[in-house]
Amino acid sequence: MSEKSEKFIVPIGPQHPALKEPGHFEFTVDGEVVTGASVRLGYAHRGIEKATESRNWTQNMYLLERICGICSHIHALAYCLGVEKLAGVSAPPRAQAIRSVVAELERIHSHLMWLGVAAHEAGFETLFMYSWRDRETLMDVLEALTGNRVNYSANLIGGVKFDINADQRDTILRALEFLEERTAHYMDIVTTDVVFLRRTRGIGTTSAAQAELLGLVGPTARASGVARDVRIDAPYAAYADFPVTLILHNVGDLESRFIVRINELLESYRLIRQILDHMPEGELTARVPRRIKEGETISRVEAPRGELFYFIKSNGSDTPERIKVRTPTMCNMASVPVLGIGQQLADIPMILAGIDPCFSCNDRAAVIHQGDDGDTWTWERLRQYGIDYYRGQP
Amino acid sequence: MNTENALKAAGELLAEWTIAANTPESNRLDVVIGAENLIASVSAMLDGRWGYLAGITGLDLGVQAGQFEVLYHFCAGAAVLTLRVRTPRDHAVVPSICTVLPSAIFYERELREMLGVEVTGLTNTDHLFLPDDWREGVYPLRKDAVLDQGETRQ
Repeated sequence: MSEKSEKFIVPIGPQHPALKEPGHFEFTVDGEVVTGASVRLGYAHRGIEKATESRNWTQNMYLLERICGICSHIHALAYCLGVEKLAGVSAPPRAQAIRSVVAELERIHSHLMWLGVAAHEAGFETLFMYSWRDRETLMDVLEALTGNRVNYSANLIGGVKFDINADQRDTILRALEFLEERTAHYMDIVTTDVVFLRRTRGIGTTSAAQAELLGLVGPTARASGVARDVRIDAPYAAYADFPVTLILHNVGDLESRFIVRINELLESYRLIRQILDHMPEGELTARVPRRIKEGETISRVEAPRGELFYFIKSNGSDTPERIKVRTPTMCNMASVPVLGIGQQLADIPMILAGIDPCFSCNDRAAVIHQGDDGDTWTWERLRQYGIDYYRGQP
Repeated sequence: MNTENALKAAGELLAEWTIAANTPESNRLDVVIGAENLIASVSAMLDGRWGYLAGITGLDLGVQAGQFEVLYHFCAGAAVLTLRVRTPRDHAVVPSICTVLPSAIFYERELREMLGVEVTGLTNTDHLFLPDDWREGVYPLRKDAVLDQGETRQ
């Protein structure tokens, strides 16, 4: 029959495919089973790589930190570590320890948020609400520590902007105590709740060989038994002094990814406590010249979603020649169209959420249509508004 | 395998096609190869089970130099091996490595649309990040790219 040869395509996105970020997927289906898939990105492309070439080294730190609203610290950290390498300076030990503490706090915030999103995709709203409520504890800690919930701006090229005092240390430890108990409870739920397991066990299974071939990184790769963690493979900041225990699971299905990320939460709690207990004393910043020596460097860090890769080239001036950012979602996204094939269409949102995608990270650079039509503001107008606002006369 | 041995092993895997090699940092090895040997080199890395492709960077060396350079970064532990391929600006072409490493497709599509380096054998040449109605022939990451007001904000 002719009907048989007809393909039925289900478009998903670009508005909020499974989660509140833009991406567009087209799934070819046969009944309920996915037989083909394609992905279109770029809806959050902002032209950041290009923009770095017309800003100086310091301005770029603020720009790059805004690539992602979740893992802002890790972008700034990767950048600062790279620029410091080029300049031939290194941040003092205490600054490196603070960088690691903030990076782990960010990981906790990111993983808890993911837990909620993934639970939401599975229709488990209670878990979503609880994990996000608990995440607020962490957001309060970040705010108390840095003054901000999201763009903490902890880094400087050559160090960090703030110290952690005894009060803040206690605040962090109290929060961790509460979160640890909650996290153990979540682990219990995601590995025993029968209804939830029907949505995760044996779904979207990725073998270690597949994960290697697809070039997966981060918790997504570690859930398939691929031992890959930059904090361990190439320690940066304070990770050489405070080693991380590798979290692995070898089943490779969605359940594995829950187990790995939840175990990573527990590992982050342990690590933060260890760092806070053995905080090195000393300065918070090192002096860095305004112009950075000519050269190229590669800076790799472990973002909550996996390896974040920066290539930085300096031409000896006060602006970079080229900055290339390869985010973990870029690696992991390639797995969605591949792993989706043969799955039930209804499982696709979970499979997508399973990699913990971050579209803003992924897309980075695009087009800003300008015009003074009331809806769109020019850069000048926005800038002036910002200036007036902070002068107290909006 | 420690970093030094890993880099040495990579150097040996690529010896056949190496035009020049240097170690810019202690954990890195840069190997310059010709575009015609790219697929063979990548295959050798894969067959030798040396690390994974961590990304592709496209560099515009400027109008004066008249060349683009495409960097293929492989990571194994702390070691980073970079294959460097140069191609003339007025006829920028590199072969697609997707035949041996399918996961490179996003990187190659990005390279193609951002820098305008033709990637031969690429199975999907649609825009990945740029809008569908992006002006043809405008490659934003080129140093001499002229972008309209609506296309960028400097």
